[in-house]
Amino acid sequence: MKLFVDIGLLFKRKMLETLRNPVFIIISMSTPIVYLVLFAPLLNHLTGIPGVTPGHVLNAFIPGLLVIVAFLSGLFVGYTMIDEVKNGVLERMRVTPTSRFSLLAGRVLRDLVNMTVVVVFFVIIAIPFGFDLNVPGFLVELVLLAMILITTSSFGNALGVILGDEDKLSPIVQGINLPVILLSGMLLPMELAPKWLQVIAHLNPAYYVVEAGRQLQAGNILSAKVAYAFMFMVPLTVIVMVWATRTFQRSVS
Amino acid sequence: MAADPVVLTEDLKKYFSSRKGVVKAVDGVDLSVMPGEIFGFLGPNGAGKTTTLRMLTTLIPPDAGRALVAGFDVRKEPDKVRRNIGYVGQSGGSDLPATGRENLVLQGRLYGMSKADTKARAAELIDLLDLAGFADRVAYTYSGGQRRRLDVAIGLMNRPQVLFLDEPTTGLDPQNRANLWAQINKLRSEGATIFITTHYLDEADALCDRLAIMDEGKIVDEGTPDELKKEVSHDCITISVERHEENEAALLDKLRHEDFVLEAGVEDGHVRLCVGDLATGLPRLMRMLDEQGFVLETVKLVEATLDDVFLQKTGYSLRDLTPEG
Repeated sequence: MKLFVDIGLLFKRKMLETLRNPVFIIISMSTPIVYLVLFAPLLNHLTGIPGVTPGHVLNAFIPGLLVIVAFLSGLFVGYTMIDEVKNGVLERMRVTPTSRFSLLAGRVLRDLVNMTVVVVFFVIIAIPFGFDLNVPGFLVELVLLAMILITTSSFGNALGVILGDEDKLSPIVQGINLPVILLSGMLLPMELAPKWLQVIAHLNPAYYVVEAGRQLQAGNILSAKVAYAFMFMVPLTVIVMVWATRTFQRSVS
Repeated sequence: MAADPVVLTEDLKKYFSSRKGVVKAVDGVDLSVMPGEIFGFLGPNGAGKTTTLRMLTTLIPPDAGRALVAGFDVRKEPDKVRRNIGYVGQSGGSDLPATGRENLVLQGRLYGMSKADTKARAAELIDLLDLAGFADRVAYTYSGGQRRRLDVAIGLMNRPQVLFLDEPTTGLDPQNRANLWAQINKLRSEGATIFITTHYLDEADALCDRLAIMDEGKIVDEGTPDELKKEVSHDCITISVERHEENEAALLDKLRHEDFVLEAGVEDGHVRLCVGDLATGLPRLMRMLDEQGFVLETVKLVEATLDDVFLQKTGYSLRDLTPEG
């Protein structure tokens, strides 16, 4: 079917771009190492605090860090989108008969592959640091991470198309970045937060994925927290993708 | 058998609302482009050329009127229009992290061409537009002229019935402009139909079989470059005076304050001016020069240019508006 062929073609184009510029891969691969070496040792005395599941402390923190990786892998893609808007690449492709959805999907798929590589690499190198990888839980977790990536990458790309200017994009993505990360309990469990902060955190979809991730790591695939995460992420992913596809459709003046 | 036009518009309109009110970007455009011709849209920036082109290439929907491209309505059957056109926008379209050949192949495949056909067509265009020397390098490394030729090749990949070129030589140095003109003329000899917008008078004159002059969203005149120039009712002459270099600025200033002078400017070391009617204008010019103490050295009648056409139709000179060109 033409849609899948086109998505494949556009995915291949972006993937080649990544492979030709391995600096980006090296930088994203180094992020997990930096966390494990420079951040994980700080956690060693945190056992027994609320929200931290028993067992090795990394079991509670790796799920949060994985969400950070997924979140950041997508949020900043608007910058390359802006380059393509400026160089007329998007416009040129909008005049071909390819569907607007494949223009978006090809890009998101590339980001998804990049993220999966980094995430898998992350959990594997965390094992020697004491992390007990729960494989079935991790596979479910990967689906949640993929939805975060699809949401942020679609959003970032659409924002790039709408704004068309790096200087306008920066304050928006930076402004989203910090509160979402802090209010998700990615770094420290939200159980440590005062009540009002916990209330705000409940409005943050990333919070549910972090919570679900900790359950999944503990092997509780059927936990209510996992269900909540899917209940938030599935509609969010669909809504953002539809909106982003529409943005690709609309005129860029 | 008379061929059908490749592009046909009837009362095409596009309005934008801005803070200052409604801008009539395109305000009732009727035009037709026949197969095999190079049709030019000449006008200053903001005249509505690009907006018209964007409607014809399905990038934005018209607000009113009708446009048929390759026989299909741009509003009702955009997908069929897209299959039959090529488009090279102002900002190009080459994907810079990819090689020239990859750009061409992707374009062909997005049009649903087979792998073998895509490969053959890419090779054909690499040959036609002289891309062979760099087609397998990433486009980041290309010069402005090389990139532009790749842009055009990408636009031709699907063997379009009509190729739209939006200001194709803007930003190119004179040598690369001449080169691209040669390439476009080559395409003409291959029978291509090309719709080109430009604000360069010499480009319109050199490339186009037929032109429409656009100003403030409307077509103010249309015809072959020669036909248009014949319509010019005013006369233009070039003069030079004694000690030309030091007197030139003062002379220009005086001329521009005379009501019988429609336009005055410097051209190749002469002052070029246009008057409504030579029979009455020339004596007044002589009298003015005499009164102001300029001594005339040469005077020569010159042929009308497209800028003169533009001046007559719009009341201002296109040359004055495009200092960067």
